[in-house]
Amino acid sequence: MAKSSRPTAFAVNRREALMLGGAALAATASAGRMARAQTPKRGGTLRVSNGGDPPDYDVLQTATYLTQFVGAPCYSTLMRVDPADYSRLQPDLAERWEVSADGKTVTFHLRDGVVFHNGSPLTSADVVYSLERIRNPPRGIVSPRRGLLGNVDGIEAPGPRTVVVRLKAPQPDFLFMVSNPFNVIYSKAVAEPLDAQGTGMKRQIMGTGPFRLGRAVNGQIYEFERFDRYYGGPAHLDKIQMFPIRGEIERGAALQGRRIDASFFFANESVLQNLRQVQGMTALRRPTPTFINLIPQVEKKPFDDVRVREALSLALDRDAFIKTVGPLAGAFFHSMGLLPPGSPHSLSAEEIKQFGGYDTLPGLGGNLEANRRRARELLRAAGVPEGFKVSLLARGDIPAFRDSSINIAAQLKNIGLDATVDVRDAGAFYTLETTGQFELVAHSVAIAGSLPDQILGEGYTSFGGRNYGKWRDDSLDTLYRQQSSELDPAKRGQLIKQFQLAFLKTYYQINLAWVGYGAAHSNTMKGWTALPDLYANMNLHQVWLDA
Amino acid sequence: MSAPPAAAGSAAAIAEPADATTLLPPRPGRLSRLLRMARQQPLGAMGALVLLVMAVFAVGAPYLAPFDPAEGDPTALYVPPNAKYWLGTDAFGRDTLSRLIWGARVSLMVGLGASLLGVVIGAAIGIVTGYHGGWADTVAQRVMDALLAFPMLLLALAMAAVLGPSLQNVIIALAMPIIPRAARIARSSVLVLKATPFIEAARATGCSDARILLRHVLPNTFAPLLVIATAYLGLAIVQEAALDYLGAGIQEPQASWGLMMSGAATALALTAPWIVIFPGIAICLTVLASNLLGDAIRDLLDPKLRRDYP
Amino acid sequence: MFGYVVQRLLSGLATLFLVALMVFVIMRVLPGDAAVMMTGAGAGAISDAELAEVRARLGLDQPLPVQFVAWSAEIARLNLGTSLYTGNPVIEDVAQRFPFTLQIVVMAMLIAVFLGIPAGVLSARFAGSWFDQILRALSIGGLAAPSFWVGLLLILGLVYFFQWSAPLFWEPFWVSPLQSLSQLIWPAIAVGLRQLALIARMTRSIMLEVLGEDYIRTARAKGLAEGAVVIRHGLRNALMPVVTLIGFEFSALFGGLIVTEAVFNVPGLGQYVVNAILNRDYPAAQGIVLILAGIVVIGNLTVDLLYGWLDPRTRVRTAKA
Repeated sequence: MAKSSRPTAFAVNRREALMLGGAALAATASAGRMARAQTPKRGGTLRVSNGGDPPDYDVLQTATYLTQFVGAPCYSTLMRVDPADYSRLQPDLAERWEVSADGKTVTFHLRDGVVFHNGSPLTSADVVYSLERIRNPPRGIVSPRRGLLGNVDGIEAPGPRTVVVRLKAPQPDFLFMVSNPFNVIYSKAVAEPLDAQGTGMKRQIMGTGPFRLGRAVNGQIYEFERFDRYYGGPAHLDKIQMFPIRGEIERGAALQGRRIDASFFFANESVLQNLRQVQGMTALRRPTPTFINLIPQVEKKPFDDVRVREALSLALDRDAFIKTVGPLAGAFFHSMGLLPPGSPHSLSAEEIKQFGGYDTLPGLGGNLEANRRRARELLRAAGVPEGFKVSLLARGDIPAFRDSSINIAAQLKNIGLDATVDVRDAGAFYTLETTGQFELVAHSVAIAGSLPDQILGEGYTSFGGRNYGKWRDDSLDTLYRQQSSELDPAKRGQLIKQFQLAFLKTYYQINLAWVGYGAAHSNTMKGWTALPDLYANMNLHQVWLDA
Repeated sequence: MSAPPAAAGSAAAIAEPADATTLLPPRPGRLSRLLRMARQQPLGAMGALVLLVMAVFAVGAPYLAPFDPAEGDPTALYVPPNAKYWLGTDAFGRDTLSRLIWGARVSLMVGLGASLLGVVIGAAIGIVTGYHGGWADTVAQRVMDALLAFPMLLLALAMAAVLGPSLQNVIIALAMPIIPRAARIARSSVLVLKATPFIEAARATGCSDARILLRHVLPNTFAPLLVIATAYLGLAIVQEAALDYLGAGIQEPQASWGLMMSGAATALALTAPWIVIFPGIAICLTVLASNLLGDAIRDLLDPKLRRDYP
Repeated sequence: MFGYVVQRLLSGLATLFLVALMVFVIMRVLPGDAAVMMTGAGAGAISDAELAEVRARLGLDQPLPVQFVAWSAEIARLNLGTSLYTGNPVIEDVAQRFPFTLQIVVMAMLIAVFLGIPAGVLSARFAGSWFDQILRALSIGGLAAPSFWVGLLLILGLVYFFQWSAPLFWEPFWVSPLQSLSQLIWPAIAVGLRQLALIARMTRSIMLEVLGEDYIRTARAKGLAEGAVVIRHGLRNALMPVVTLIGFEFSALFGGLIVTEAVFNVPGLGQYVVNAILNRDYPAAQGIVLILAGIVVIGNLTVDLLYGWLDPRTRVRTAKA
């Protein structure tokens, strides 16, 4: 059970990235990374599979990683995470950026000579259009991640290569929010008329990335050809082929049969374990900002009662969950508090132990029996009778979702709740979940990024996209905004801790474990670094084949 | 089993109805008769034996299963078959043998339930509309045709999604595709019967329609319906497994054979093959047994049915 | 004859209309919301107003009867509409996926016919022997094994023992026949086993009946070789019901590949329609079900007409039944 080894200088680095310009920093970071023993070879076709078909190509409108994976080699973002150091940003379309002294104005200087795949040059108008489309999409276009730019007050383009973003309040994490791997830059000339029709960029890809979409056949193949006019120089690979293969075991078989070179999404540990024994194959698992929470619907009785929610938390043996569900869902990791494993903002053991049930996290030596006795007392006090029926909504066609729920239901039985799993198909599941028609739901929530604003903003605010439990808590939201705009790192750290303590006390969401993504690739694939956040390093520009 | 190839064929085959009931009542020397039948139909006897064993498992699951099928032992995950866990344990540390035994209950209930429900409803529709004829018959026929044309597993999948997950809903969902097939067979039997002097005589003696249907028509359609019921029993078990595979079938923590070999379990096929192999064998054996028994029943009741229910 | 054909065609159309009504109702009764599925399935902050707008754009805010009439009118003009999920015209998606499904069906039926009929004949010829018993048990075994289980064991067996997995890019048969065969033979085996069982059993039953007929005894008495008797006189006369069965199974198999295609990741109609149902992709799901039902209706009609044409005695009875 590897623990993440992120440097503790995390916060400092981030602040540096914010206060100084980014270019110099990025140069030093990449110098070390490039000093490799082998020189990359040119040519070849990389064959990968990440799961099923993307529903469409509109990365800004989508909510699934499948679309982002298809878009990543073709699009660019303003900045991107440095593959050598996850806590730093390096330039992508923006070669430099400045933040004003009050922290409320950010100026991006765009790189010169960037062209879209159709040959037209990138200008600040394209950036403004794309960011506005995220923040405030035109009619008929949706923007699931508009919260990322929720703090933006206005975006202007004073020059063809300058973009100025005014913020409502200072936001230390803003540069990371705007560089979210989903926040790709579209060509205004291409996207605007399509957006007006309501279709958006669903049917085509027109970006500035190192590859451009070639042949694409739904259910069969997505092919990317090298774009030779990429501003960063042509990629090493001639071509990338992505095959939509849904089942993990089938993807494992394809890797083993040498039909693909890499596959990046394996929840199930047995498949990886099997691949690890294959000669010439690397199989790894890394903790990623994806957490598994049990979420009660607080509008429904008796879950409106915090005692009942605390009882749920007390009932759960997190260590046992990680041991049993871990190998099935890749949920091997744990964290103290709401932020990912290894975060500088993690709570101490003493702090987390004051919340019911969290002392069963691995290594904290909690007393499960005492917890469960206490849970029964709380239920009794809340007027919940022995054998009370509760149901866990689960999605049937994703084994990892289903297995989490099975384990939780079994554990809840120990405090006298008659818990059953209500398995639905994808269509019913998502509709019931988003409209709050459930009692309990438990599944993994994947977030692109590990910073407090990213995790807390999307996962733990009333207005965030993942508030399935329908709770409303203004004091928490205010606390979130306060930490978000605090420029002093020490003070901000205090606020982040305060937020976590306040949130944990409400038991609106009950954390069980953190997920690590599994990836496996043939050793002939070089130049790919497994970042903690899989979304961030998928443009494959530096990847090459040693064949 | 598929529908009989052509309604025309079945009409010809049942032209001389065998009185099924006369074969069934117990007579002296029952045991020796049974043995003789078993010798005549060794495969059928084997099928009956396997089904009997499965039925014993299903009924006696609470007493026979060595462990609780839903309660896992967290200290014994992925344990290969050994002296304590004869068929090993699964990813949750649950005993495979106990889950197989409890799974027999689910599979047999689904198989029996779906085939009986489908055949009874289908036969009722077929017999009544076939006997009365007229516009009701025409409408019923078109509806049955539409159900027949609807892909079978898709129909079950959609029904399961509409009704929500539970054992009884899976039974209803799997009975749906059986209804039109049973109705078709029952109807064609009735059409032939209607034309025979035997029914006309009953009518002439002043029997009511209901009485004719119950006393004369129903017993004479019994043989083909029993044959297809055994065939659909097996098919329903296989289809239930397919529904489980698609995530729309029986729900955990209930044990079902299909569930045991789908979902995350499939990923274990290489590292812990016992988790996937044994439930598959259980399904094969049971379905095989029900088909063999069906064949034997068919041959004993009326060998002429062979042509239509091979 | 002409009147009969017209009558059958009309009843076929009526059947299809009922199928259309059924699939429409089922899709709308399914819990779930196409608009939610289209806007990222709840993984982001989509407001109710935005969802309502999506629904309005798709016409999903109209009363159901209005939606049904609108959809049937499009179907009557042979327009299946546009998939909500892939954004392609449904007919294009179908055209691209149909060849793979067709090829599996054809290959499965070939396997079934070329192994099933000889097995059935031999079984009948040596009826009651141990050879017959074993062959029968084996053929029923084909009915008994869930195809996804067989498929899984095939995939894993190939990779475990031979480090081989099927090529991933799916070319139609006419583009690269060998590759296509190497990909689709496995799903064809997984489903073919079942068809094999059906055909072997049917052949055996009919052969048993035929071999007991007078003219076979006459042929034997005339001193014809046993093989000639069984094949020339027996099989030829037994073939018609078997061919009928093959016809029905062939058309029904198109809708029976859902699970097998999922296991082998075949980009065929079965996977497409399951995804369409899961994603509440109404036009796609409804369109494919209608196509699959249409194949069955046409298949049955063809078999019946052929049957009637070959054997005029049955025509009236078929019409009646």
